[in-house]
Order: sequence, then C-alpha cells, then structure tokens
Amino acid sequence: MVTRRSILGAFSVLVPTIASAHVPAGTRGPNGGQLQDVGPYHGELVARDGEITLFLLDHNDRPVAMREASGTAIVLSEGRQQTLPLAPRPDGTALVAAGEFKATPSLRVVVQVVPRPGVARVQARFTPADPMQ
Amino acid sequence: MRLLLILCLVALVSLAGTPTAQAHEGHDHGPSQAVATALPRTEAQSDLFELVAVLGPDGTVTIWLDRFSDNAPLDGAVTLSLDGQEITAQRQGLGLFVARHALLAQPGQRDIVFTVTAGDEMDLLTATLQVPDVPAAAGPAIELLGFLRELPVQLGIGAGLLLLGVLVGRGSVRRPLPPLIEEAPAQPEPIPATQKPAVPRRVAALSLIAAIASAPALASPAVPGTAVPSEASRRLDDGAIFVPKASQRLLTIRTQMTEAGEASASVRMIGTLVPDPNASGRVQPSQTGRLEPGDRGFPTLGQRVERGQVLAYVVPTYTAAERGGLIQNAAELDAQITILEARVRRLTTLRGTVAEREIQDAQTELAGARQRRTAIQPALSGREPLVAPVSGVVSTVRGAVGQLVDSAATVFDIVDPSRLWVEALAFERAALDQITGASATLTDGRVIELAFVGRGLTVRQQAVPVNFRVVNPPADAPIGASLLVTLRTARAVQGIVLPADSVVRSAEGPPVVFEHASAERFVPRQVRVQPLDGTRVVVTAGLDAGRRVVVQGAGLIAQVR
Repeated sequence: MVTRRSILGAFSVLVPTIASAHVPAGTRGPNGGQLQDVGPYHGELVARDGEITLFLLDHNDRPVAMREASGTAIVLSEGRQQTLPLAPRPDGTALVAAGEFKATPSLRVVVQVVPRPGVARVQARFTPADPMQ
Repeated sequence: MRLLLILCLVALVSLAGTPTAQAHEGHDHGPSQAVATALPRTEAQSDLFELVAVLGPDGTVTIWLDRFSDNAPLDGAVTLSLDGQEITAQRQGLGLFVARHALLAQPGQRDIVFTVTAGDEMDLLTATLQVPDVPAAAGPAIELLGFLRELPVQLGIGAGLLLLGVLVGRGSVRRPLPPLIEEAPAQPEPIPATQKPAVPRRVAALSLIAAIASAPALASPAVPGTAVPSEASRRLDDGAIFVPKASQRLLTIRTQMTEAGEASASVRMIGTLVPDPNASGRVQPSQTGRLEPGDRGFPTLGQRVERGQVLAYVVPTYTAAERGGLIQNAAELDAQITILEARVRRLTTLRGTVAEREIQDAQTELAGARQRRTAIQPALSGREPLVAPVSGVVSTVRGAVGQLVDSAATVFDIVDPSRLWVEALAFERAALDQITGASATLTDGRVIELAFVGRGLTVRQQAVPVNFRVVNPPADAPIGASLLVTLRTARAVQGIVLPADSVVRSAEGPPVVFEHASAERFVPRQVRVQPLDGTRVVVTAGLDAGRRVVVQGAGLIAQVR
C-alpha cells in the first residue's frame, strides 16, 4: 500500500513538471505572439509599433488572470533602451506597456512580472517581431 | 613572569597566523549552484552573444562576453539593469568587464538584465544570479576570534604586549643590593654600565616579533576585488567537463556550428615522397678511382647545379702490377721513339743517297710510336669527369675529396625540388577506379595537394603501386619521408564536416568531439568519423546539426581530469 501511495505521490509531483516542459523555440501562442517560458508560466508577448501586450498561461495553457499583476518591460529597439511599466488591461487578461518603439525583427523585450502580490518575480526575454524565432 | 611573556607572544603569533589559512571562508556555497564549489555564477545567451557573469567577493561581478557561434571574445560594452538601477560595467580587457554594486553583495536572488552592445549589434540578455548567504558566525567563540582578528584590535594587543614587555624588562633589571652599611646618602647610586642597554635591546626584539606576528594579519584583509576570479577546470560527475571562461580564453577554445552536408568519401594509404624520375639523377663513376674536386670545388648539399656541370673528377687507381705494366710500356715506347727519331734524323741528312721510301717508313714508324705513347698517357695521368645529368639541387653527397670510390657507386644525387612525386601502395583496388583527387599529409602536419599520374599493373606486397605528382611541392620537402596519402573518391557520404583537430581520442577509446552545451560546459559526444582529406573529417553518426562543437583546443579539454 505504501508503495502504491508513494508511486501515486511521485506521479502527482511529476505530472505538472512534464506538462510545464520547455517551450520549443518558434512556438506561437493563441494570440499570435511569441511563446516563452516565464518562470513557472508560459508567457506570450504580442508586439505592435508602440505597444506590447503580455499574456500569461499556466502549464495547461489556460490564461492566468492578471488583474493584480504588475511589472516592467525593458525594450531595446533601434539602439535605444527604455524601461516601461507594465499595467493590467481593463479586462484583466493581460499586461500592456506603451512606448516609442518599432516592431522590427531586432526588437528585444525583457519582461519582469510579479503575477500576484506575494509571489516571486519572474523574468523572460522575448524577440517578439523576429520571424525566425 | 618571563614564561607569561613567552606565552602571550605565542598566542599572538598563532592568532595572527590563522587568517591566512581561512581566507577563503566566504567563498563556500550551497549545492544549489550548477557546479559545486564554483563561485556563484550565471550565464545568458542569445543567437549572437554568450555571456558569463561570476560573482566575486564584495559584490564584484566579472563578465565575459563571447560570440555565441565561435566562442571568440567580443569587444563592446555591457550595462546591467538591477532592480531598475543601471550599472555600467568597466572594460578590463577584450570581452572582459567588471561591475560592482552593493545589491550584489546582499544575499538573495537577483534578476539581472544585461544590455550588450558589440559593434552594430545590440541585445538584451536576462539572467538570475543567486547571491549566497554570507556564512553566519557559528557562535560567540568565533565572534570573539573574528573580533580579535581585526587589525586595530591586533595592533592594540601588540602595543599592549610591547608595553608589558618593556615593563617586565624594566622590572627585571638587576639592581645592586642595598648596602648593609649606610654610606654617604648624597652619593648617587652607581648604575652598572653593562646593564644599561638591556632595555632598548629587549624593546627592539619585542617590536620585531610583534611586527612579524602582525604581518600576515596586515596582508590577509587585502583581498583585491578587481582580480579575475580563478577557478579550475574539472570533469563533472555526469562526464561533462566544466571549463571556466577564464580558462577558455587562455586555451583559445573556439567552436563551430555544425551543418549537415555531403562530402566525398576518401581512402587513406601510406606513401613515400620520391623525386620525379625525369628531373632527378645519380652521378656514378665508371671506374674505381680517387675523387678530386671539380672546377668549382667539391659540391655541397643543397648546392644548385646545372646540367652538364662537372661536379668532380675520378682519378683511376691501378694495382702495382697494372701500373708496372703501364710504366714498362711507356718506357719501352719512349726508348723506341728516341731510336726512331735518331733514325729519321740520320736518314733525312742522307737524303738523295738513301731511298725516299726508307725515310717515309721511318717517319711513319715514329708517328705510330708517338700515337701509342699518347694513347697510354691518360691511363697514367688522366681522370674521368663526373657530370651532372640534370639541373637541380645536390640532395646527397656520398664521398669526400681524396676518397676512393668503386665504379657504379653513387657519389651524388641530384634532385629538382620543384618536381616531386609520391609513390604509394593502394590495398583497396576498387577505390582506384574513381579517384577524383588526392592530398598528402607530411609528418609535420602540412598538407600538399597531389595529382594522379598512373598506377602499376604488377602488384607489390599484394598492393597496387600508385604514382602521384606533387602539385606545389614545399621547398623543404623531405624526400624519402613517409606520408599519409588521402584519396578522394567519387563516392559521396552524408555527414557533418569538421576540422580534423576537433576529433580527439577519448580515454575509453572511441573518437569523441566536444559539444559546447552551455557557456562553461563541454559534453563529450562519441562519433563515427571518416577522413575527408588531410585537414578535415566527416562525422557520419553521433552528432546533430545546429550544435556548437569545439574545433580548436579539443585536445586540451580532453586532458581535463
């Protein structure tokens, strides 16, 4: 009995680990943006000229509510680096940051997000407009 | 009293000596690091850059910046973003930067964003650095020890001991016993002259000991923060090899991205470098004799000679009997010539009285005798010239001036160094039917290009002799040396083409290449390789495309234990 329970216990520990395995390079999210590992989450970044939108998905790729989330985005575009605050969208599904940049293939974005108060900060690097990624 | 003083000094010396042994106490870390016992480090990479940051003492971060694909150091600029604060790293050398910040000295997890600029390329790289907890003092005893180890405290202890020593010394000075009989009180007390310098001497000795004892204590706190942390390369438990960036720079480790391709299969065989038969020759005398230098002296090795040039002379040598016979013949002929000359003279004075026919006969006889004497002369004093059969360079000299040489002995070899051949034995006869090219590797690693000339039909040692012409022979090509001939055939092989230096023989036997798995980790991959030419191999199994493989310094990584 003990062994069966321990096996089940091991499974319950292992299964989420398998599910949240690394996102392969070049994966696109449900909103058409680049999908990356962001700490324990999957993050999808959609970039347009002057605006980036970050969606967080859990390990089953279900959207995570972002009403209480906060963070910053460091954007490198055309040789200029700027740090922009990420604020929740009114519908609470994503974080948005606006600034002066162009969504060119050389655009690099680093997001540092606290998904909920009291949760450790996570960070990830995106190349949202690079067609090769 | 004296014993107490010695004990105090011993305690001081042992106290001051301990910090050197424990100077690296603060460098210990938990097992959470990727490589146990390495300094806290983090790495970041993009498709352009690879960056390693190592946290040294006092919140100093040393950053190595390299190109991702080939591991070459990149010059540029690095800026760190740490909790919204910008820190510009100072350039210390090519691709080496140092940054310092108070936050990096505080324990905890730090998210760092590196802004890298190298030439026209800019990129953002992210990394998380775990700053380890400073090991807390394990108890009041250690705290006390640490307090005692501080420099002002030690100086204070030293000064106190010095003062104590002076007092003790002063106290132990022998004084004359008070006289039993009271003398004149006005007379000053006589101080013995020999006792006087004792106090300064003791002070000097004590201060010297104190200085020696405090010297290591002075030296130990000066841990320079700018020095690049040095760590040792080592083999990890999983077989991978940890090589810190600093070592990679020293060993000039370079990598290459693997690409799947097609290459022509090749066959290897052993060959010998020989001179072109139409541009080389031997110089041999036709008779036994003694060597004499030619008109321009005796040829030396490497000397350039022209076709038809007289290199040396051979003076024939004879046995005593042969020489005796020759001298006898000559003497007889000389005597005969003298008689015949006298006869011709006599007859010509009697012209008119003797028959004209008799005079002519005598003259003819004299001419014949003279001709025979002339024919004998070279055998007595003549010599045979040794002539260069081709233009070229003297490659062998087997003889010296005055040496006796046999007939048909090789005295000189003449070789034209611009025309060389390679003679090889091919055991795989099938491969010879589709030769597309060939090259040869000299013993010193140089590769020379070959052109196929022809093959023999008679097998030698069950192999087919094949001749190649060296396309551009090096000036110092070692004639007669063995070399490795690589034949390229028309058969194609699929695989990854790598430089031959990237494949090393592992300790277990099979050939391996080292994959640059992450910034400081090299994973040995067993591979199946085929030679391609002298400098390249093709990996047909064991390696995927799109990996970074060490192409320079693989042999040095293989030696890491």
